[in-house]
Amino acid sequence: MNSTPTLLNRILIAILGLKMLAIGVLLVLLASVPAVASWWHSWSAGVWAGINQAFNATRFPGRPQSWLWVLVALALLVLIALMVAWVAQQGKGRANLLALEYDPGDVPGDVRIGGGVAEQALKHALANRPDLAGATVTTYNVKGSPALKVRLLPRQGVAPHLLADEVYALVAALEAVVGKRIPVLIHIGAGARTRFSRAERVR
Amino acid sequence: MTRNQEDQSPDMGRILRRETHSSRAVVATAAAVLVIVFAAYGLLEAGVHAIGQPAWLIEPQVAAERLVALPAGIPPLLLGAIGAVLAMFGLVFFLNGILPGRRARHLLAGGRNADGPAVVVDDEVVASSLARRARLAANVTPEQVMVVVSQRQVVVNVRPTSGVPVDPDAVLAAVGSELAAMALSPSPEVHVNVAQSGVIGA
Repeated sequence: MNSTPTLLNRILIAILGLKMLAIGVLLVLLASVPAVASWWHSWSAGVWAGINQAFNATRFPGRPQSWLWVLVALALLVLIALMVAWVAQQGKGRANLLALEYDPGDVPGDVRIGGGVAEQALKHALANRPDLAGATVTTYNVKGSPALKVRLLPRQGVAPHLLADEVYALVAALEAVVGKRIPVLIHIGAGARTRFSRAERVR
Repeated sequence: MTRNQEDQSPDMGRILRRETHSSRAVVATAAAVLVIVFAAYGLLEAGVHAIGQPAWLIEPQVAAERLVALPAGIPPLLLGAIGAVLAMFGLVFFLNGILPGRRARHLLAGGRNADGPAVVVDDEVVASSLARRARLAANVTPEQVMVVVSQRQVVVNVRPTSGVPVDPDAVLAAVGSELAAMALSPSPEVHVNVAQSGVIGA
């Protein structure tokens, strides 16, 4: 429901995993197979000579240091910034507005309904039910349009389809009040609070 | 949110797919932190080298020469162990990237109209609901019933009270009707196992 970049996550994780896997397998082969060791000597020596030459050719005039180090530092900085941006994308997507509509009436202006209206109303309606150990309602922004996620934690033994029907009626009432169809996802979940609480006996 | 996007509702199928599959957010964060740590160390050494100071842990020149000479200079057992650990973590990351990562959840589809709210249920909730129903049908205590719900299968294990027979067909019918009312998607198959030995004093 949130806008976590799942495809990007998978691609980047797979790339990182493949690289680590390749390096690990290379190390194991180096330690165990002599033929790989001789190949590694010839190959890596060539690469190292090339890198050495690049560093020698790029010295600051009159100083022993190469300015390639500055480039390396900058590239690593960019990499760190990209990683931080990637982490910041996880779990994003909360929204504040439930509805935004132009009001065609006599008074000029827009009508905006905050997500807090739906969240508070539904939470209050679900608060005192004996068959629920908890309920949370959140507004998300799904591809530019608002959607509600209702997360219910029923006690043990509660029939999920009956619960869903009752919450559906609440959502329909909310839609009537707001005057707009809202996409709603109901997630009936289990957690530590439901696992260790008493079972619902009477229903 | 622009006004012309207002009317089109989000793609519910996409939302449901995202809800029933793992987003890999935790593994992604771990991978990012790993890369950040290594990049920060590299940045430190590169920065120190760029201004002509002595290196913090190891001179890059020395490190590269050791890498080139690799099978020498380190016990082969240690090298192999480091490689194996690296490969294992790499495999974990890679599999996390390509496996579907289905969560233990079902969609609750039937009976409701198509444009109503979509309902996702954890398998644990389904199991506890079915266990309650099976317990009532078999007339046993909650401790004598165990239900395991997986993607395509529901296994109901009942241990009868000693001397009181349990009718597996009655349990199967009760659980089946409860499942039919739920209309899970994908819909699982029900198996009822009644244990040979009973429980005394329940």
